[in-house]
Amino acid sequence: MGELKAIKPLHVNPLKLSQPMGATLAFLGIKNCMPLMHGAQGCASFTKVLFTRHFNDPIAIQTTAINDITAVIDGGEYSISVAIENITQKVSPDLVGLFTTGLSETKGDDIKGASLLLKDKQKIVYVHTPDFEGGLESGWALSVQGIIEQLIEQLIEPSLTCNKDKVLLIPNVNLSAIEVEKIKEALELFDFEVYALPDLSDSLDGHLGVKQGALSSGGISVEAIKKLGDAGLVITVGRSVKKCGELFCEKNAKATHLHFDSLVGLQACDDFYGKLLTCKGWSKPPSSIQRWRKRLQDILLDTHFVLGKAKVIIADEPDNAYAISTALGEVGANVHAIIAQRSDISEAFTCKVQIGDFEDVETLLPSFDAIISNYHAERLAHQYHKTVLFRGFPNYESVGIGLRHNVLYEGSCSLLCEVANTLGHV
Amino acid sequence: MINKKLIKDLLNESACSHNKDKKSSCDKPKPGATSGGCAYEGAQIALFPYADAVHLVHGPDTCLGASWETRATLTSWEGENNTPLGYCTNVTTNDIIFGGDKKLAESIAYIVERKKPKAIFVYETCVTAMIGDNIDFTCKEAGKRFGIPIVPVHAPGFVGGKNLGSRLAGEAVLDALVGTREPKEIHPYGINLIGDYNVTGDMWQYVPILERIGIKVVATLSGDGRIEQIQQAHTAKLNVIVCAKSLITLCRKMQERYDIPYVSVSFYGKRDTSNAIRSIVNAFGNEEMMQKAEVIIAEEEAKLEARLLPYRELLKDKKAILNTGGNKSWSIASALQDIGIEVVATSIRKATEEDIAIAREYVPILMRVPANEQAKLIDEHNIDILLAGGRSLYTALKKRVAFVDVNQEKKVSYGAYGGLENLAIDVCAALANPVFKLAGKEAPWEN
Repeated sequence: MGELKAIKPLHVNPLKLSQPMGATLAFLGIKNCMPLMHGAQGCASFTKVLFTRHFNDPIAIQTTAINDITAVIDGGEYSISVAIENITQKVSPDLVGLFTTGLSETKGDDIKGASLLLKDKQKIVYVHTPDFEGGLESGWALSVQGIIEQLIEQLIEPSLTCNKDKVLLIPNVNLSAIEVEKIKEALELFDFEVYALPDLSDSLDGHLGVKQGALSSGGISVEAIKKLGDAGLVITVGRSVKKCGELFCEKNAKATHLHFDSLVGLQACDDFYGKLLTCKGWSKPPSSIQRWRKRLQDILLDTHFVLGKAKVIIADEPDNAYAISTALGEVGANVHAIIAQRSDISEAFTCKVQIGDFEDVETLLPSFDAIISNYHAERLAHQYHKTVLFRGFPNYESVGIGLRHNVLYEGSCSLLCEVANTLGHV
Repeated sequence: MINKKLIKDLLNESACSHNKDKKSSCDKPKPGATSGGCAYEGAQIALFPYADAVHLVHGPDTCLGASWETRATLTSWEGENNTPLGYCTNVTTNDIIFGGDKKLAESIAYIVERKKPKAIFVYETCVTAMIGDNIDFTCKEAGKRFGIPIVPVHAPGFVGGKNLGSRLAGEAVLDALVGTREPKEIHPYGINLIGDYNVTGDMWQYVPILERIGIKVVATLSGDGRIEQIQQAHTAKLNVIVCAKSLITLCRKMQERYDIPYVSVSFYGKRDTSNAIRSIVNAFGNEEMMQKAEVIIAEEEAKLEARLLPYRELLKDKKAILNTGGNKSWSIASALQDIGIEVVATSIRKATEEDIAIAREYVPILMRVPANEQAKLIDEHNIDILLAGGRSLYTALKKRVAFVDVNQEKKVSYGAYGGLENLAIDVCAALANPVFKLAGKEAPWEN
């Protein structure tokens, strides 16, 4: 139900987050990585502060600190090489994720050239992520594409080396650390060897380490990424990362690509497990999965009384808005989605959908019961006496964000119960 | 347009004591070794507390999208509070190619029509500075058309750090607003409060006390501020800089232009608050007022002592180490001492020469490399509590001492007399909490 109308001249109370922020998260899902934002110091600082408050954990990031002089006379090589020099004086990253901002893209810097000049000193993946285009999801997806293109080693003879039991899982930016872990575990139950790229499941899951490192604290290793080329199956979750799977198949023509727009709700999960069974030639999944499906069936019936009459606004990144609105739609909820940026997924929504900001949310909110969105929904919900449920970035209100589990049969149960239980609590 | 000469002048501020021995805070940031916000953020910090003005950011998303509704600056403004709202022209590829002036003009019109603000601040950002948008002209035209001040703020992120941005914001206010409105009457003891942004209501802890003494706040930059008041700021008799050196240039210029002297004070802790009140009152040189101030100070101190009594026993003989930056390296130390804690050491790693000199008067040990020093000092001095940034949590857990994150956004005010009780509550809660001894405990399978 596309209803993507032209936008007013400005954003009032923006919902959108920027591409460089998505890139930051993607690189934080790689072990011993330093995300390096090519922009003014504020670009990285705002990003660091937002994610630090969101995750309640330290966030590794550095900046090339473009100033008013290097903005004009440097083509990027100078500030990037000095940044790499200063970073490597203190730490030894396995990878530096170099990505641009509005400032460096307006300058038109040659980050590819700058990376090549430094290739003997430091392994770098470079990505163009101007913040005047796209948003959080595309910044993440572009980074994954950059990693696939620049890091994964080309197979010499795909037909001989392709490993059909090896899976590359590409989650979208909205999935929490534990959700990534749960999907990996689900695939392991099908006897797959699973690698998630990026893998936030052990880097931003909020664990107490021995000390605070200056680099990303977990994630997939660079060595493992290099050898991903022989994966026989690539699974993408979320429309924003679909292209990443296609790109991988260009590298390994023997690989099978399974794409899922969502893993929330009965139909989405049935689709997922159905395809895995076909893939494996199995007739039934492991018994725990069968049990959780029955529980979800029961929850669908238990929650439909409340949710079937509920009018809910969801304002979030496109993939997450799609996943949640579809799941709520299965129990008859009346959902209106406001998404942060343009996306192919907008055509797949089964509810009303528009691109917008929190001014648009505010216009609609009086005739709805609840709002599912980020931290900025708190003030509005309070003002209009509506129920609020926090999803998306940033969330400064809740703790344990990395632990949220709303995917597959089990997580879908939690989501439906949480929405049903919260409704009516103003 | 960015004013290069102004930026140079601001960085060479003659009223800054560190000027002979230039500190890193005013240097260019180092690529790959920089943390901290940019000039735009500094401008935002300095001006966003004007709740009756709309703050329009002319740039792409990261600048505002990631930072709106994050500052807990409180206001008593009864109209719509614009401080926590985000207005952004959302510059896109098309605007980069064809220029963003038209979009800016349309955005201003949109805001004036719907929000009817007292003024609009328009913040230039890196991208709109690079593409050469004529923000001054657009603002001037819009100002004429709508009859309200539309103030361009030229502090794009790449010109420097937060401190410089706050200075540039101060300059914008000085040039566009101060002296543009005359009051009905001039108060003989009127002051401007400069540099207090009323975070968690800090100002409200001490302004009522000043009022009881007979002092009137004419205008603020910018805590609980109003546009009409800052327009009349030139009629104040004294500028009071609260714990912020970034706006010292503004005060010096106001002294030159309007003959308004300035004093610099801190409202952290009992002694500093009392001294701050004395400095303000003494500047007026009115004997009667000085006596009245002493009476009120004595009253307030006695009230505070009575309220601190329940915590005194818990805090007695407790020793602390403080690891934070800037003026907090001494202002929090002083506040901690006022609630009865012995502050053994403080970090001066991120302090200016001036701050170091003051810190020396309060605390015996000054740590230059706190990361290396604090663990050892905790053992040597039998420390009970570490007050530091999140990075030091691991040290606290390893040493099994209580921990307070002083760099985290605070939820309650620690300012003036009233805030000290909040500090005492928070420190007592940390000291009594078993979590710091428990969370770092080894698992049964570890040795």
